[in-house]
Amino acid sequence: MTPTAPPTLTSTGIACFFAMGTRVELHRFGPGDEDALMLAQRAIEAVDDALTIHRPSAATALNEALLAGREVAVDDPVLFDALIEIDAAQGLTLGLFDPTADAQRATGWRDVRIDAVARRVAVTRPVALDFGGFGKGFALDRAAAALRAAGVSSALLSAGESSIVVVGEHPLGGGWPFAIPDPLRPERELVEVELNDEAMSISSTVGAGTLAPDRAAMIRPGDASVVSAARCAVVIDRSGSHAEMLSTALIVAADDEVARLTGGARRFLFDLAPVESARMCV
Amino acid sequence: MTDKDFDLTRRSFIDRVLMATAGAAMSAATPWAAMAAGAQTPGTGKVRLGVIGTGDRGRALIQNIGKTRNCMVAAICDTYAPNIVKAQQWVPAGTPTFADHRAMLDAKGLDAVVIATPLNRHAQHSMDAFDAGLHVWCEKAMARTIADCGAMVRKSQDSRKVLQIGHQRMFHPTYLNALRRVKAGEIGTITQIRASWHRNNSWRRPVPADSNDRRINWRLYRESSAGLMTELATHQLQVGNWFLDAVPTRVLGSGSICYWKDGREVYDHVALIYEYAGGRKFIYTSLLNNARYGCEEQIQGSKGSIEPELGRIYQEIPPKTLALQRMQADVKRGHKRTVPIGGATWFPELPVTTPGDSLGWGEYDETMLQFEGFGEAVRSGRPLPGLLYQAYNASVASLLGEQAMDKGEALTWPTGLVTI
Ligand SMILES: NC(=O)c1ccc[n+]([C@@H]2O[C@H](COP(=O)([O-])OP(=O)(O)OC[C@H]3O[C@@H](n4cnc5c(N)ncnc54)[C@H](O)[C@@H]3O)[C@@H](O)[C@H]2O)c1
Repeated sequence: MTPTAPPTLTSTGIACFFAMGTRVELHRFGPGDEDALMLAQRAIEAVDDALTIHRPSAATALNEALLAGREVAVDDPVLFDALIEIDAAQGLTLGLFDPTADAQRATGWRDVRIDAVARRVAVTRPVALDFGGFGKGFALDRAAAALRAAGVSSALLSAGESSIVVVGEHPLGGGWPFAIPDPLRPERELVEVELNDEAMSISSTVGAGTLAPDRAAMIRPGDASVVSAARCAVVIDRSGSHAEMLSTALIVAADDEVARLTGGARRFLFDLAPVESARMCV
Repeated sequence: MTDKDFDLTRRSFIDRVLMATAGAAMSAATPWAAMAAGAQTPGTGKVRLGVIGTGDRGRALIQNIGKTRNCMVAAICDTYAPNIVKAQQWVPAGTPTFADHRAMLDAKGLDAVVIATPLNRHAQHSMDAFDAGLHVWCEKAMARTIADCGAMVRKSQDSRKVLQIGHQRMFHPTYLNALRRVKAGEIGTITQIRASWHRNNSWRRPVPADSNDRRINWRLYRESSAGLMTELATHQLQVGNWFLDAVPTRVLGSGSICYWKDGREVYDHVALIYEYAGGRKFIYTSLLNNARYGCEEQIQGSKGSIEPELGRIYQEIPPKTLALQRMQADVKRGHKRTVPIGGATWFPELPVTTPGDSLGWGEYDETMLQFEGFGEAVRSGRPLPGLLYQAYNASVASLLGEQAMDKGEALTWPTGLVTI
């Protein structure tokens, strides 16, 4: 019997939907299973369902317990993975990405104790977690994994165009070229980058998006000060959630921390004001 | 229209209602609709209705009743003779007429009454009809006071007679379809409804020589009406409660006679916020000197919006070509170019400017379906489930809104309402 080659599907496709408070777009190119985009969408919606604080979710249930100072078991696997990833990234972000940061309370990740074996969380004082600045990258990582598992080798995933993950190479070969405009002057380009099987996250304290009513202010962990300087951070990393956490950390970082966070990697911080000239790190 | 055409439009209307209400979620949310649409018993003797009040609305109701399969107008009553004469063209010759509703009740020969009189008459007319052993169909709003609304409910319960209130949106395929799409999660979690009924006219009717202003323009006087609240807002408050699946917890409001300073007593501008559990809100305005925004309930969810009066549903994602989608086209052409991201298209939280998709209109009349449903309820002696609960809460909400505006205080939802 002659073995039949698996059918080569050259289907491209787009899925657009609303999740995590933003427009999500998934673009796939070339071979892979027919239902790959659907699986990727499901992966993102599962993260949204678990981490949202805008409707009842595993995250809101967790927050309720932690605000009451109760120790609690985390049954939701997505929420649990998120907590573990955030915990593991504390060194990477110099503790500057902190989902407990709250301008009203001087709380911090140090107040959170995770028992990874028992899958339990406890706090030393009441805190609530907000997964903004993490969730989009985390969700795109999971969607990218779903696409890879479905045999897709070229895809672009975007959440609100501020979190991007690309799977593999550009369909025409090589990297995926992106231009990032100045959020205050969109006609001006801050930087041009190429991604290859990588993720990118853009955070900014200014621009159209920051005017959205439900956007939380950027808060510096530790002293809980609100960052008001006009800044835009762009981070490229293998992992979407790392890129996301790092770009958030850069926005609140002090000068010496900026140098440590950006050292040698494709991580950029632009100070957009008060001086006209954008400062580029690295 | 021939009888056959009529049957076809009726059938297609009812099919829309049945389609919109199919499934467990919808039959739980709208138990009355499928029952009314399933009324299929012509010929077994029609339910005989005596209509009290043959003014504008009463005559519209009479025409609708004439189209039903299971109801007929068996008597009409109005204190104002010219309105009896106007109504007679729509009823069979020889249909008894009365100037006093008690005389009509005493004359017997009725199964139920239909009340389309000024608001402050509804309670008395209902009570008298229940006392005469009849079922009652009464126009919204229920009564002039919250206490009278409750008394009507209790009386129908005690006398085991049906009380149905004229909230026709509950039978409208567009509204039913909108609710079905809400239940299916299409617009996400509803956190706010912004509703308005804006008109640009005085709302004042000309007074014929043989009548007087207070009788003709009863809507403008506090003794007989709460004005915009009971005459217009009730409909939309019913929609609000229905779509938010709750009653308000509290209402704040401000009312004024701002433009038509013509001796009227009711506000010509009302603005209210009804709060619902979980921080949800129903924001309402009604006024009489600007019609730009008309009549609408903007039902706002995290994923989209529905405007049922317009029959439109909008998704939060505007389907416009963005930079990323342009990339798809580039790739097809074998062209690789830098994708500009962020900037103006960075966040999508902009007003949705797309025209939206149609929810679909029914050409046929929901008012008629209300009566076919009522006819079935009278025959079985069992009210269509869910309807009175909606109506009672809508009337209470409208009257509580009036009180909040009068007092200039936020008022909490009353305790001690009658349980339905
Ligand atoms: N569901 C709807 O969409 C809708 C639309 C319009 C009106 N309505 C309701 O219908 C009712 C009537 O409104 P309308 O616009 O027809 O008012 P209208 O003034 O045109 O008619 C009221 C009629 O009742 C008669 N009447 C007054 N007192 C009476 C009495 N004691 N006995 C018998 N008849 C009496 C009047 O002579 C008049 O003919 C109101 O409750 C109104 O809210 C409902």
